[in-house]
Amino acid sequence: MYRFLPAAGLLAGCLTVWAISVAAQDTPLRGRDPADIFRHFDANGDKKLSKDEFVKLAERNARLKANVDLMLRRLDANKDGFLTLEEYSQLTKLQGARLPMPPVPAQEATSKSADGFVETPTPEQVTFFEKKIRPVLVGQCYSCHSAEAEKLKGGLLLDSRDGLRTGGDSGPIIVPGSPEKSLLIESLRHTDDGLKMPPKQKLPAAVVADFEEWVKIGAPDPRGVRADDGKTASERAIDIEKGRQFWAFQPPKRSAPPDVKDETWAETGVDRFLLAALEANGLKPVADADPRTLLRRLHLDLIGLPPTPEEVEEFVSDYESSIGSPHSAIERAVDGLLASSHFGERWGRHWLDVARFAESSGKAVNYTYPHAWRYRDYVIASFNADKPYDQFIREQLAGDLMPASDPKLTADRLVATGFLALGQRVLIERDRIQFEMDQADEQIDTVTQAFLGITAACARCHDHKYDPIPQTDYYALAGIFRSTETCYGTIRQFQARRPADLLELPKGTPVALPMLTLPERAKLVAQRDELQKQFDRLPKSEDVRRLQLESRIIALDARLNLYEKDGTPKPLAMGVREHGRTVNSPRYVRGETDKPGEIVPRGVLQVVGANPPKVTAGSGRKELADWIASKDNPLTARVIVNRVWLHLFGRGLVPTPDNFGAVGQPPTHPQLLDALAVEFMEDGWSVKRLIRRLVLTHAYRLGSQFDSENYEADPDNALVWRSASRRLDAEVVRDSILAVSGLLDRIPPQGSDVARSGDGPAARLTATLSGRGMTDPGDTHRSIYLPVLRDNLPEALTLFDGADANTVVAERPSTTVPAQGLFLLNNPMVMRAADAAAEQLLTDTTSENDRVRQAYLRFYARPPAEQELAAAQRFLDDYTRQLATDNVPRSRHDREAWAAFCQALFASAEFLYRN
Amino acid sequence: MLTRRALLQSTASGFGYLAFAALAHEAAAQEGKALGPLSPKSPQFPARAKRVIFLCMDGGPSHVDTFDYKPKLVTDDGQEYSKGGLSGAKLLAPTTKFMQHGQSGLWMSDLFPEVAKHADEICLLRGMHTDVPAHPQALVQMHCGIFQFPRPSLGAWVLYGLGTENQNLPGFVTLSPPLNNGGPANYGSQFLPAIYQGTKIGSGAGIGSSVRSGGDLTQLSNIKNSRRSTAAQRTQLDFVQSLNRNRLEKNEVNPGVEGVIESYELAFRMQAELPKLLDLSAETQETQALYGIGGGQTDNFGKQCLLARRMVEAGVRFVEVTHSGWDQHRSLREDLATNCLTVDRPIAALLADLKGRDLLKDTLVIWGGEFGRTPTAQNGNGRDHNNKGYTLWMAGGGVKGGLSYGATDDYGFEAVDGKVHVHDWHATILHLLGLDHEKLTYRHAGREMRLTDTKGTVVKGILG
Repeated sequence: MYRFLPAAGLLAGCLTVWAISVAAQDTPLRGRDPADIFRHFDANGDKKLSKDEFVKLAERNARLKANVDLMLRRLDANKDGFLTLEEYSQLTKLQGARLPMPPVPAQEATSKSADGFVETPTPEQVTFFEKKIRPVLVGQCYSCHSAEAEKLKGGLLLDSRDGLRTGGDSGPIIVPGSPEKSLLIESLRHTDDGLKMPPKQKLPAAVVADFEEWVKIGAPDPRGVRADDGKTASERAIDIEKGRQFWAFQPPKRSAPPDVKDETWAETGVDRFLLAALEANGLKPVADADPRTLLRRLHLDLIGLPPTPEEVEEFVSDYESSIGSPHSAIERAVDGLLASSHFGERWGRHWLDVARFAESSGKAVNYTYPHAWRYRDYVIASFNADKPYDQFIREQLAGDLMPASDPKLTADRLVATGFLALGQRVLIERDRIQFEMDQADEQIDTVTQAFLGITAACARCHDHKYDPIPQTDYYALAGIFRSTETCYGTIRQFQARRPADLLELPKGTPVALPMLTLPERAKLVAQRDELQKQFDRLPKSEDVRRLQLESRIIALDARLNLYEKDGTPKPLAMGVREHGRTVNSPRYVRGETDKPGEIVPRGVLQVVGANPPKVTAGSGRKELADWIASKDNPLTARVIVNRVWLHLFGRGLVPTPDNFGAVGQPPTHPQLLDALAVEFMEDGWSVKRLIRRLVLTHAYRLGSQFDSENYEADPDNALVWRSASRRLDAEVVRDSILAVSGLLDRIPPQGSDVARSGDGPAARLTATLSGRGMTDPGDTHRSIYLPVLRDNLPEALTLFDGADANTVVAERPSTTVPAQGLFLLNNPMVMRAADAAAEQLLTDTTSENDRVRQAYLRFYARPPAEQELAAAQRFLDDYTRQLATDNVPRSRHDREAWAAFCQALFASAEFLYRN
Repeated sequence: MLTRRALLQSTASGFGYLAFAALAHEAAAQEGKALGPLSPKSPQFPARAKRVIFLCMDGGPSHVDTFDYKPKLVTDDGQEYSKGGLSGAKLLAPTTKFMQHGQSGLWMSDLFPEVAKHADEICLLRGMHTDVPAHPQALVQMHCGIFQFPRPSLGAWVLYGLGTENQNLPGFVTLSPPLNNGGPANYGSQFLPAIYQGTKIGSGAGIGSSVRSGGDLTQLSNIKNSRRSTAAQRTQLDFVQSLNRNRLEKNEVNPGVEGVIESYELAFRMQAELPKLLDLSAETQETQALYGIGGGQTDNFGKQCLLARRMVEAGVRFVEVTHSGWDQHRSLREDLATNCLTVDRPIAALLADLKGRDLLKDTLVIWGGEFGRTPTAQNGNGRDHNNKGYTLWMAGGGVKGGLSYGATDDYGFEAVDGKVHVHDWHATILHLLGLDHEKLTYRHAGREMRLTDTKGTVVKGILG
C-alpha cells in the first residue's frame, strides 16, 4: 500500500518529538553540507565521530545536547560506538535541514567573502556580468524570479545580488568556484528532469558556458544589496512593521459622531455616521417602514420566527399611541425579543455558520460525531445568557485551561473547546504527520477566520501572498495546535483509520441517551462475545470476513463504551486538552511534510497587536486565547461587530466579512466601525447590547422601497439609504412555515438524531436523515436542531443555501433556483403544513374574507388590501372550479382550496423575504 | 445608447433589473437579446464539441487490465518489483488478453469487447497522472481541479461558460453521483451562482458498497405533485406569480423577486419535461436492447447511458454518469470482469447511438476514474491505487480517434511520455468546447478563479 510520503514521513513519524524540537538558539546553517560539519568535528581525522567528538558537536544545539546518548544510539546503525559520515547524515532526515554548525572562521581580508563570492568585482568582471549575465537574468528569469514577478517561483529572487546568493526554497543555487556543485548550472544544463531552467527551452550552450565561467570566478555581481541583509528571500518579502500600517492592523480609534445637516433624522451616534456619509454623497434616506413591517423584521432578525397576529396588533397599538416618538414601543418589543430563548437559536446559528458546526467528519470516510450537539447547545446557551464575547472566545480556545468553580461550569468550558474539534478531517489518511498537519491547518484556518477575519492558512506553503503573514507565523500557530490533543472520537472501522479520544464530562452532566437496561447491555455483550468467538475461529486467510467481524466488534465496543457498567450513559464531549508533549513545529517547505525546514517557536501572528505573547510553557492555547480576546487586538472586536451589522443590515460595514486583509474590501464607514468596536469592548463585550444599539437606530427602521436616484448612485445600498430586502435564511424559511401552520415544536430536543444513532458511517444515516426537516412529520423542532451531517444536510436547508459545514461561513450565498420552487410547490411536508394552516383558518374563522384577512396576518404580519381580498377570492373560485373539473369530491373542496391558498402564500416572495 | 438612468425609468415596473442586467452583459448586447444565466452563450473561439457526457468510473479502474497494454507485465508476472513505494511487491499480469482493434490497431483488453469495436473513435490518454493516490482527494481533483479548497466542478464551469440549449431543463445533470469521496462537491457550483450546480438524479453508492450497482435511478425529488392536477397547479402558480408581481410593483427593482418568478416558471416547465425525459419507454425495443436494458447485469447502467443520450439530445449541456465500485484491492479478476461486463455494452451502445444520430462529432464523451492501479499485486488478486500513471479515454467532440497518446513505463506504473495531468485534461476539455481555461474565470475572494487553478496546458496532440 502507498504512503503519501514514504520514507521521510515514516522517519519523522517515529521521531517526531526529536525532529521538531530544535531549540531557537541554533545558529542558522542554510545549505551547509553535512560532510563539512562532520569533518570539522572529526578532530582526529579518522573519518569517524567518537562519542566525545559527537558530544562536542552536540554542544551547538540544546536539543541535541539534551538527547546526546539517545541520538548516538539511534544514529549508530552498526552499533560500533562510532558514527560514520553516512550514519551521521541521517541526522538531517530526523531534524530537517538544520544541523549544528561549526564556528565560522574569521573572515580573511580578500576580495572574496567567506563563502567564496566575489565581494568587489573588478571592472572586467562588471563588464562580463553586464554583457553576458544580466541580460539573460532579465530576459529569461525575472518573469518568475524577481520582486516584480507576478508569481514568485520557488522563493527565488534573481533581481538582486543578495537574492541570487541566498537562493530559494531549495537552498543556495550557487557554490562559487564550483559550477558542478551549483544548482543554477545544473538547471541551466537541463540534465535533471526535475530541474530545468528556463523550463520551456534550454538556453544555447554558449550562454550556459558563460554562466559556468561566471560561477567559476566567484559569481561577481555589481548589483545592489538590499538593506535587510541576511534574511532568506521569502522572509524579506514581508515587512511586519510596514504591514502594521494597514488599516485593519491599526487599533480601532474612537471618534465623535460627525455633524449632520438633518439633525432631526439622526437619533443616535450610529445614525449620524450613516447620515453624514449619505449627505456627503447627496443621498437621502427613504421613509420609515410601517410598524408591521418593522415588527416582522425585528422578529425575523432577532429570533428567526415571524410575529403572531396578536403580537403585531399589540405592537401597532403601542407604536401608534406613543406620543412623539415610537421609541418606547420599539424598545419594549426589542427587549422582549432579546430575552426570548429563541434569540439564542437564531444568533447561535449565525455563530455555528462561523464555527463550521457539523455532526460528522466529512471528507473521505464521513463518520458521525455523536457528541457534537453539546457544542451546539453551548453556543445557544451562551448567546441567550449574553456571555461576554471575550469570555466566549477564551472558552472555545482554552476552556479546559480556565478555572471553573463547579461541575457545570467545568462541563461547559470543556464542551466549548469542541469548537476546535468538530472540523472536517480525512479519517482515511495513512500518514500520521500529514494527518496531524491537516488537522492543525483546519484549526488555524478556522480560528484566524472566525475571530480575526484573516486567512492565515494561506501561509501553510509559502508566505501569505497578500497579507503580512510570513510562513513562519503559520508554523508558530501550528506548534500550538500540535501541542494540543484534539479529542473528536469516531471509531476505527474499514477506512476510518484515525479514531481519537473524547473528553469525559463531570458526572451528572445531562446526556442525550436513555439508560441502557441491564438486559439490553447483557444482550450487547453476548453479541460481542459471540462475534469475537467467530473471529477467533477464522483462519488468517479469511481476511475479508475477519475485517467485517472486527468492524462489527468495534462498533459494539463503541456502543458499550458509551455507558457505565450499570447502564448509565457517560457524559462525553468533543474538545481539546493539552498534549502529553509540547513541541515546536518545523516550517515545512512548500507545506510538504517530508521537507521540514527550521523549527519555529510557538507563537501568534506578529502583525496583529503590538505585543504578541511569548509561549513559554504548555501548548500556548491560553496565550492564543488571551491574545485574541484582548482589547489590544485590532481585529477581534471589529470582526464581530461587523458580523452583527451584516446580519441586521444585510451587508457588512466591511463588505468582505471573511476577509479583513489586503484582498478584502475596506470598510464603507471606517469611523463607525471603529466607534462600534471600541464601544463594544468598553460595554463588556455584550452582543445583546450591541444588537440593541443597532436595532434602535433610525437607520434600522427605514423602509425597503426603491428610489431611483439613490439606486443610481448606490445600487448596493452600501450607504444604507434603505432597508435591504433579502431572502430568509434556510432555517427561518422552514421555521416560519412550521410556525404559521401551528406545527412548530418550540421546546428544544435533548441531544440530536446523530447522538441517538451513535458512531458509524454518516452514509448509514443519510437515507433516513437527509430527507428530514420537511418530509419527516415527526420532527418539527426548530431547524437548528436538525442533524448536520457534512455533505448531507437536510434538503430543506441545502435548497435555501444553508451553511456549508466544511468551511467558515461568514455570509451565506442567496440563490434562487428552480429546485426551491419545486420544493415549495410539491414537497409533502410543505403541503402538510399548508393543510394544517388551512385547518386552523377553517376552525378559527367563519367568513371567507375573515379567513383571508387572518391568513395575511399570520403569514405576512399585515392585513390584506381590498384588491388582495378580491384576488384571493378569485383564486379560491378558480381553484374550486378546477377541483370540480378534476373530479375531486365536493366535500374536500374547501380544505383543498384553502390548503392551496396557504401553500401559495408559503411560496410567495413576500413570505420568503424580509423587508 | 440608453443611459442607466433612462433604462431604469423606462423599465420601472417589473423586470427592469433583468433587462438592465442583460443589456449590461456584453455578449447579450451584441446579440441583441436578453439573457438569463442559463441562456446559450457563444464559446470564446470556434468549438469542436458542444456538449459533454462524462462517464465517471468511481474507485480507480485498473488501466493495466483494460486500456494500457503492457506486454512486459505478462512476461514478468510474479517477479519482484521495487519502485516507489512498491518494493518487494510482485508484478501481476493483466487478468485477460489484449488484442489490437480497428483500423488504428489500438490495443485493448478483452474486458471491453464492445467498446473495442469503436477503437477508431477512441483516443486513449495513457500518460495520465494526478496528485494523490486516495479516493476522496483524487475524485474531487478530477471534478474540481484541486481538492484542498472547495471549487466549482467541471460541469458547473462548462455551464457557466456556455449556458445551455434547453431552458426547460437543467443545464448540468449528474446521474447516480457517489455520496462519498466529496459527494456533492463533485457536482457543486461553490462560488459560481447556484444555477450552475449539477442537478442530481438518482443517488450512487455509499460507504461499504461493493462492486456492481451503478446506483438506483430514482426521480428527482419534488418533481411531481402528489395530489394536484397540472391545471390545478397552474392555477395555484398563477396566483403565486400574481402575488409576486404585486410585490414587484411596490418595489420596482428587486432581482430577488424577479429571480423567484423566473425560477418558478422553469420549475413548472421542468415538471412537464423532465419526467418525459426520464421515461425510457419512448425508446424502441431495439434501442433499449442495444444498451442492454431489459434486466440483467447491464440494465441499470444501460438506462443511465440511454438517459444521458436523451438528455444531450434534448439540449442539456453536461451530463455525468457514474458507475461506482472500481476499487479492486482484492478479487480483481472477478470484480473487474463484472464491472466491465456492466458498463461495456451500454457505453458501446452510447457511442454507436450518438454516431447514428450524428451527435458524436460534437458530443465529447469522456471515460475514466480518479486514478489507476499498481502493476503489482495486492492481496494476491488485487491492485492498489496508482496516481503516477493511468489511462483515461475520450471520443467524439473533436478528438482524434484511434489514437494512443502518451505512455507509462514498461509495467504501467508511472507516466513517462506524453504526460497529462488532471489540470491539462481539464484545459483540453474546455478547449474542445471553445473555452480558454485561462480566460474562463470568476472573481471570488479577491481573485480571478479558474478550473485549472494556476496550471494546465491544452494537449494539442489529441485535437482532431
